[in-house]
Amino acid sequence: MDMNEIKEIFFQECEEQLAELESGLLKLNDGDRDPETVNAVFRAVHSIKGGAGAFGLDDLVSFAHVFETTLDCVRSNKLEPTQDVLKVMLKSADVLADLVAASRDGGSVEEGRTRGLVKELEALARGELPSGGAAAETPKAAPAKAAPKAAPAPAAPPVAAAPPPTDDSGFQPIPFTFDGFGEEEQTIEPSTFEVIFKPRRELYAKGNEAALLLRDLSRVGTMSINCDTDQLPPFDKMDPEEAYFTWKIQVKTDKGEQDIRTVFEFAEWDCDLDVKVAESSEEELPMVPVPFDLSVLDDGSDASGEDQDASDESAANDAAAAVAAAETASNVSKMAAAAARADKKESQAAAAAAAAANAANAANASAGQTIRVDLDRVDRLINLVGELVINQAMLSQSVIENDTTGTSSINMGLEELQQLTREIQDSVMAIRAQPVKPVFQRMSRIVREVADMVGKSIRLVTEGENTEVDKTVIDKLAEPLTHMIRNAVDHGIESPEKREAAGKNPEGTVRLTAKHRSGRIVIELVDDGAGINREKVRQKAIDNDLIPADANLSDEEIDNLIFMPGFSTADKISDISGRGVGMDVVKRSIQALGGRISISSRPGQGSTFTMSLPLTLAVLDGMVVTVAGQTLVVPLTAIVETLQPEASSIHSFGANQRLISIRNSFCPLVDVGRILNFRSMQANPVEGVALLVESEGGGQRALMVDAIQGQRQVVIKSLEANYTHVPGIAAATILGDGRVALILDVDAVVSASRGQSLRQEGGMKSDMSLAATG
Amino acid sequence: MKKKILTVDDSRTIRNMLLVTLNNAGYETIQAEDGVEGLEVLEECNPDVIVTDINMPRLDGFGFIEGVRRNDRYRAVPILVLTTESDAEKKNRARQAGATGWIVKPFDPAKLIDAIERVTA
Amino acid sequence: MASTTAETGSLKLVSVLDLNEASVLHGQLTNMRGKDLSIDASGVERVGVQCVQVLMAAANAWEEDKKKFVFDKVSDAFGKSMQLIGINIDHLLAKEIQQ
Repeated sequence: MDMNEIKEIFFQECEEQLAELESGLLKLNDGDRDPETVNAVFRAVHSIKGGAGAFGLDDLVSFAHVFETTLDCVRSNKLEPTQDVLKVMLKSADVLADLVAASRDGGSVEEGRTRGLVKELEALARGELPSGGAAAETPKAAPAKAAPKAAPAPAAPPVAAAPPPTDDSGFQPIPFTFDGFGEEEQTIEPSTFEVIFKPRRELYAKGNEAALLLRDLSRVGTMSINCDTDQLPPFDKMDPEEAYFTWKIQVKTDKGEQDIRTVFEFAEWDCDLDVKVAESSEEELPMVPVPFDLSVLDDGSDASGEDQDASDESAANDAAAAVAAAETASNVSKMAAAAARADKKESQAAAAAAAAANAANAANASAGQTIRVDLDRVDRLINLVGELVINQAMLSQSVIENDTTGTSSINMGLEELQQLTREIQDSVMAIRAQPVKPVFQRMSRIVREVADMVGKSIRLVTEGENTEVDKTVIDKLAEPLTHMIRNAVDHGIESPEKREAAGKNPEGTVRLTAKHRSGRIVIELVDDGAGINREKVRQKAIDNDLIPADANLSDEEIDNLIFMPGFSTADKISDISGRGVGMDVVKRSIQALGGRISISSRPGQGSTFTMSLPLTLAVLDGMVVTVAGQTLVVPLTAIVETLQPEASSIHSFGANQRLISIRNSFCPLVDVGRILNFRSMQANPVEGVALLVESEGGGQRALMVDAIQGQRQVVIKSLEANYTHVPGIAAATILGDGRVALILDVDAVVSASRGQSLRQEGGMKSDMSLAATG
Repeated sequence: MKKKILTVDDSRTIRNMLLVTLNNAGYETIQAEDGVEGLEVLEECNPDVIVTDINMPRLDGFGFIEGVRRNDRYRAVPILVLTTESDAEKKNRARQAGATGWIVKPFDPAKLIDAIERVTA
Repeated sequence: MASTTAETGSLKLVSVLDLNEASVLHGQLTNMRGKDLSIDASGVERVGVQCVQVLMAAANAWEEDKKKFVFDKVSDAFGKSMQLIGINIDHLLAKEIQQ
């Protein structure tokens, strides 16, 4: 491992510490007063500073130092973490994150921001309460000049300017350096120092050893020594651990007094030490010159006498066996011990770690909790496992076709193979599974920044951050989520005045939650704002020529208009949520992930966006069906139930619409073959099978297919990557018999069917219509 | 015989630096991530010197040092504390807990080795 | 005890005479009180001041008891440590190894 690799680790660790910092600050903001929370926050900044110092990242060190000093005030209860204080701290956390990023990527952080916050933090540390954030926004010219000077100073040299809450303990921190201190005052003339050194019991108890100190002293110059043993009591009265000896030492050296004192640096509180220049050479004590070469004391292995086995044996008494075992089998036992320790720890590394919890991982546990693997390697493995699944399916198929008895041992073996393949696949997928936490945490910063910009006070509450999902899904989640969060803050939550007038808490709440539900991850974004202004949305849609003025839409349908392309409720496209994209883009990116999004809104109470996403983009459990001679795969998660329609339950409605009655309710029938243009005429429902599907916000639909072939797990092959996007089709797969089958995009099909019906009733235009697709 | 150093630090960055520095200097290095783990590892590794951080989760450096000093077998092992600046208060507390000496960060390999050599024979 | 007074006890010092060893050493020596004693320090690699204190106090006690207290083998490390600490053990060394 070289420095660059360690640096890389440092930046990774910074990310973790920043996340820790932010979540801790948010907890404090929520009234958490657990000292461990404050400690964790402090540690995060402290740790970043420590690493940054080692790499000479001075900007980062300076800022972290100021931040840390203020956090220390909170830690020692000198500063109450009020909301105002935390506001400054959260902003500081953001700047710290930017400084880390700048250090890593070589950018820079706007100096005014850092400067302003340094001033605010320093004011807090001095006990001045925040002035409502004004200082940060308007760094005044004059004092701002002084600030940067003050900032880097405390941290850069390790010894200088100790922060306020220190140094009261009645001893002087000696500014030392190991090498150079004496250089300036070095006297050419060697002088003789007289040292009186009387250790106390504590010196030994703390692991210092007078003999070693004397050894180091002998290296400073030429040493003569006299040991005063007068204090030594009779043998049977002595305490073996007491300190009885006192030394008078003369050191002739061309170095300064400081070099002599430095030798006793670790020990000076636990001994009486007197160092002075010898006044005269007259000396009544018999001094024994100590030879300069004492190298024998440096390393036990040089010592004559026994070999190292003997030393092991004697030194460690009954520990010898354990030590020897640890040494002989050092690697193995270390691994085992590390594994045992890792097990004891609260395992936050859920599925991924569990799947990979083998020796290799555990051995690394003491150096770091994880192993880092190039993502490409994992992807390659996933692809290979995908091929394996297909291959196994094909093998099964051909065995079934050729095995008439169906009971052969080959068949049984195949079943086991299938089981194993499935497990391998799950395990491999688990490697890529990661908690959504990092994405969620990024959102809190966005909430803060946007809220600040628009002058709103908004709290982000997150739940289920540890819910895991495939890394590719996580990576692609950030953008739509960011957009939705901006939207919620900008449009969803009202201004504090409006909220107060409506009798609500002036501080708005945005709640972001993640959970697993039936093989998918469901992410909900709930705001307690005004809800969708349906009148306005409707009017906008009419103005934008999205719907005719007389369209008759349900509340739900109006709410869903915001997902229409080119729709924006903001009168002016603001800099914040506008950015030229609308919720239609969000919807499309969610759909591209195989996900669904819907909105429900209660006027005056807020809106809820619900996204449901697959846990992985690599495999899917599907129902294989036949439609107009084509084989299609319908994602199993979308299917509520399957049923065989009877003629009596089919009702025609309008020109082309048919409904099926299921347990006293009517559900539109959608002919998949017709929607996808596989055939021009509607199929006879009674001859096919209806798949009752539920789509996000779209209610239930019965999808008509000709026949069901079976259920199986399929490996998803992106059509977009290999061909081009086909409306109504999510992706493709290869079946066991080698045929390519298309995977149905249920939501697109349902939307398309709704688009049709809307057009027939109201003439609403929709780009989701698939009528034109071939 | 190689000397054994037990390092206790929650920062992966610092842990790796310690590891590289100590291995290059010819020491055998055993690492723990916090005070609790440090005390667990202590029993198996019988170190010649311990290098520990102060700010750590679960059990901080002060608690860890006290734990070592209470351990009959290992109470005499020299313990060096990593402190970020020459924070007098922290150093004082570490000494009271039983620390032998300290190493001032920013991390400097030469300083670390020098300090270890000072407290070992 | 009475029958063994003429016996010469011997003690081999362990390689590391640190803080922990001081009490052990004190105990071992206490048990040998009253006997002539020869000490083998040939295996000593490290000796701390507290063990030296115990040894020196013992040497005084043996002298008072008019018993022999002799280092008959000394490792280089032991000898040099004594020199460094400023303790002269020349008079305690066995004749054969005295320089």
